[in-house]
Amino acid sequence: MGTTAISPSRILKDLDALWLSLGEEQQHEPPVSGAPGASPVLRACAMTLIAVVDTDDVTVGETLAMLVRSHPSRLIVLTVTSGDAPSLQAGVTAQCWMPFGKRQQICCEQISMSASRVSLQEIPPVIRGLIVPDLPVACWLRGRNLIQTPELDGVIGLADKLIVDSGGVADLSAQIGYISTHEAGARRVCDLAWTRLTRWREAIAQLFDDAVGAERARRLERIRIEYQGAHVPMSAYYLAAWLRHSLARSLKVEIVRVGDFERARVCSVHLAEQATDVSITVTTDRDVQLHAGARDAHTVFPRLSEYELLREELSVLGPDSVYESVIAAVPALLAESEAAPS
Amino acid sequence: MTPSSNPFRDATRFERRVRPCALVIFGANGDLTKRKLIPALYRLAYEHRLPPGFAVVGNSRTEMTHEQFRDKMREAVLEFTEETPFEEKIWNDLATGLYYDSGDLKDAGCYTRIKARLQEIEHSRQTGGNILFYLSTQPSHYRAVIHGLGVANLAKPGNGAWRRIVVEKPFGHDLASARELDDAIQRVFNEEQVYRIDHYLGKETVQNILAFRFGNSIFEPLWNRNYISSVQITAAESIGVEGRGAYYQEAGALRDMIQNHLLQIMATVAMEPPAAFEAQTVRDERAKLLRSIRPFTHDEVRLNAVAGQYGPCRVGGQALAGFREESGVNPEAQTDTYAAVTFTVDNWRWAGVPFYIRSGKRMTKRVTDIAIRFHSAPHSPFQTGNHDSASWAGPNLLVLRVQPEEGITLRFLSKLPGSGMKLRPVEMDFKYGSSFGMRSPAAYETLLVDALTGDATLYTRRDMVEASWEAVHPIMEVWQNTKKEFPNYEAGSWGPKASDEMLGRRGHSWRVP
Repeated sequence: MGTTAISPSRILKDLDALWLSLGEEQQHEPPVSGAPGASPVLRACAMTLIAVVDTDDVTVGETLAMLVRSHPSRLIVLTVTSGDAPSLQAGVTAQCWMPFGKRQQICCEQISMSASRVSLQEIPPVIRGLIVPDLPVACWLRGRNLIQTPELDGVIGLADKLIVDSGGVADLSAQIGYISTHEAGARRVCDLAWTRLTRWREAIAQLFDDAVGAERARRLERIRIEYQGAHVPMSAYYLAAWLRHSLARSLKVEIVRVGDFERARVCSVHLAEQATDVSITVTTDRDVQLHAGARDAHTVFPRLSEYELLREELSVLGPDSVYESVIAAVPALLAESEAAPS
Repeated sequence: MTPSSNPFRDATRFERRVRPCALVIFGANGDLTKRKLIPALYRLAYEHRLPPGFAVVGNSRTEMTHEQFRDKMREAVLEFTEETPFEEKIWNDLATGLYYDSGDLKDAGCYTRIKARLQEIEHSRQTGGNILFYLSTQPSHYRAVIHGLGVANLAKPGNGAWRRIVVEKPFGHDLASARELDDAIQRVFNEEQVYRIDHYLGKETVQNILAFRFGNSIFEPLWNRNYISSVQITAAESIGVEGRGAYYQEAGALRDMIQNHLLQIMATVAMEPPAAFEAQTVRDERAKLLRSIRPFTHDEVRLNAVAGQYGPCRVGGQALAGFREESGVNPEAQTDTYAAVTFTVDNWRWAGVPFYIRSGKRMTKRVTDIAIRFHSAPHSPFQTGNHDSASWAGPNLLVLRVQPEEGITLRFLSKLPGSGMKLRPVEMDFKYGSSFGMRSPAAYETLLVDALTGDATLYTRRDMVEASWEAVHPIMEVWQNTKKEFPNYEAGSWGPKASDEMLGRRGHSWRVP
């Protein structure tokens, strides 16, 4: 792959041509029912979504194709290629789908770019010209190797919201530092490791909905979080920080490894007070046992795809005060566990 | 502790969860259950929004086994669910919680059997004693059901459980009967337990009126008599009475549409900003607006209300029957299949602004929208000779489209390209489909979840129902005592000439939606 001069105006011209050709293609199809003169293709856009991916990422296309159905966007997919030679490429396509039961196609535009690391600094001015005016901009750093890549700061700087995934990250201090640094800027940061906890948090909240639960919440004294895997997952600290923040008390926290798993994960949460114990335990892959005093219940945490996690995150483009409080509390928890005798 | 005071609740993230419960549908063999309720429940199940153990107990007079009921409801889902694929597994999960108990609603034994069924379900499906009763029967049965539930002690829960009742419209057929019905309901249920459903309020686009008005800062300063000259609310149907002739003959457009749906829409358009999006505050503001509608004297009715009835016609080579030729309809019927009313509101914000509301059957097309017409510019500098290129095009117009193509359009003037200052109206158009790729939930999905989670914001309250009956009461009185020259509009038209004349008296005209 060689270096080509890519300019926003050239790409925008290509997009115009693309829409024209999509319209012409559809002219040959049977007419759309409904309003006379209705266009057969509906162009949909509610934000700009920049996805930064590794060169060998072959599954991201499927995730994005699903995602634009719930969050129609101008997609800018930036592939960071390996190799030291300068390299820049760009092209346009459309993501189209036919909503169930409808006869009008909905299409979102996708701009695909690739750049080697040394060429990344040339990318922000191009993307700046491609951002849909006056709509939110989200940047999803999908590539695991792309976190802590200073060359990408210019691209991230264009976004209102940065999405990362700390699942599988071992160096939690560095990761939380990275998130906090960006959080301190003007943009919001979210972490899919936090998004995965929504079901856990909902299940915990449900155990405290009634009057008995309310009384129990006031008496809670200890938090024990069990995990499986080679290192403590970020989600364990997120959960602990959230529980402390919710109860507005500095409860004693224990984070304990109880087994192996290919990717570190939380498998159980125990909230204890003197009289009773509240726990949520993943018994198999998805089955969950809820226990609160004399009450036992069973539920299922559906295994969420990356698409489902992103769908949730892109629905929260405004401030997420709970997560912001959690991010602020995690460093103290990390310091506590480092100080604790092993 | 209520869910809202639970320290672990995260309103930004957590979906409203329906807690374990059972739904009892009276009139389970009827059209509403087949066309709306069961498809809405299937859709909620499809989105995993129903709790595990959720159960439905159907009741009607028809003898049926549980299995026959399930088969019938399966057919209903297949036939009436839109925009959602049918998945056997999801249906089977939902169907295992469907039960059926036939019975005469006037027979106390019917409620004893339902009570026993609910106790069995509470044990087997862990519904926690939480029950939503749904009155989907003929309105004439409402009192019997409410009385039966009271006698069987089904309305008052114990042990922290809840009991609620959804009442379908019509809420009475006039002010007096509405009050009698409410009295009967409140002998058994507290007002907080009563959910009077007006499915128009559950429509996404009607809810969006609140978002549009109170989520943006640029519109609300204009939202008053200083900038708005009139408001038109249209709910037109292209179809006729479609086999409901006997029912419709007694109802008519004023009762069937304007008294409830369209006055609720008007209240949503015109109400003051609520302090919070909560049931009490939002409904307080709606009720206040409805109470501010100026009551008509009988003479004023003749100037401000028009009744119409469609006659036979040929449209596109097809012969369409007039209302009086429809099956089950009296050939001398005085029923209004079209009604148009000019309401005014007695408050500082709206004094002098007419709210033109019309609804009719067999009109040109199916459309529901709200058109906010602004005052013309006070002075036009674009005059060439005697021709004012701005004034002919009409003032700014904001149209909130409820159906079929949900969205918002703002009409304003723009310069025609080329030499000279010729102006043309153009539109800024927002379509739901192009900004949100996801489907909008059907009104019944939204409203069922609201009732199951105890959120009454989109339901009407007793005082709102009574205020809207009071607004139309003088019109009903005059119309009942006047022999009308029907039919007075052709099927496929926009209604009777008298309706155009009603607006013409104020220098306005109906827009063509």
